[in-house]
Amino acid sequence: MKNMKHKLKRNLMIGTAVTTIAAATVVSAQVSDATVSVKAMADALHLVMDSDRSVYTKKIVNRLVKKEKVIKASEHFEDEKALVLPAQMFRFGSELAAKRAEKLDDVNFSYTLQSLWPINKQNAPKTEAEKAGLKYVAENKGKNYYTTEKLGGVNYFTAVYADTGVAPVCVSCHNEHPDTPKKDFKIGDVMGGVVIRIPVED
Amino acid sequence: MSFGFSSKISAAFSVVAFTVVIVTEALAEKADYVQSGNDALQQGRDLWLENCEGCHGYGIADAPVPMQSSDWKYRVIKEKEVLYRHAIEGFIGEDYSMMPARGGNDELNDEQVKAAVDYMLFLANFYIKRQGN
Repeated sequence: MKNMKHKLKRNLMIGTAVTTIAAATVVSAQVSDATVSVKAMADALHLVMDSDRSVYTKKIVNRLVKKEKVIKASEHFEDEKALVLPAQMFRFGSELAAKRAEKLDDVNFSYTLQSLWPINKQNAPKTEAEKAGLKYVAENKGKNYYTTEKLGGVNYFTAVYADTGVAPVCVSCHNEHPDTPKKDFKIGDVMGGVVIRIPVED
Repeated sequence: MSFGFSSKISAAFSVVAFTVVIVTEALAEKADYVQSGNDALQQGRDLWLENCEGCHGYGIADAPVPMQSSDWKYRVIKEKEVLYRHAIEGFIGEDYSMMPARGGNDELNDEQVKAAVDYMLFLANFYIKRQGN
């Protein structure tokens, strides 16, 4: 009797395992057949980026700098033992993602924070799509820009999302920086944009 | 290199087939900022457009949007002095969202800030009434 119970239990376990493998195979096939629009993907990526940055701004910078006043945030965060600015955190994430993506054969996309009025000239738009997108989001508040471009023989879907100055420090730093090409930003102005570029096949 | 599902992306992508696509997702248009026959409110509207609309018109940095009744129905019942004080002195919300003092414009005097707040309340009440909640 005990032996029969043992066999039954073993057969049930094998059956469960087989069912799980079969289900996983079906799910895997479903995943490989899944589709996503490139615009939806770009929008989702931007939503994650923007949410993470917003959480850092509110729960770290605003809480510790503005409310509890225990530390400051500074562009020169290492010298001043300060928190990195939200825009710097975003840029560092962008740089790390680009570095990591180089090692992954099946991941190739990029996101950058750019401006038509960059303090650092490296952050100026380079392609026509970037220039047009940044101009569009600056002149059409609340709207995103989507286009395609071919670079180095590769087709890309390129999306541009407005980046707005929301704190006095964003505006004052840009207006007063010796390298700034624009000195009249005010809070609520579009100061640049997030450019997301995703390769697509013909 | 591409995403593993780039072929699927390309299928969806062919719909837009290398044409520029601009999608309108704006929350606000100028016409949404209703006018008032009251001179003081009209002056407040001008100040609001110049100093507040950039964030409050679009919900940027969690700024409550007066055209969305859900953002304002709990605010319009607060004492007006509280709203004035938050706008003049700045305010850190419970979730650490930040309203900068005087909307970030130090040149605005108290009366100008209050006029902009009055217009935003007028606008919020207009949309609360219109949206029926």
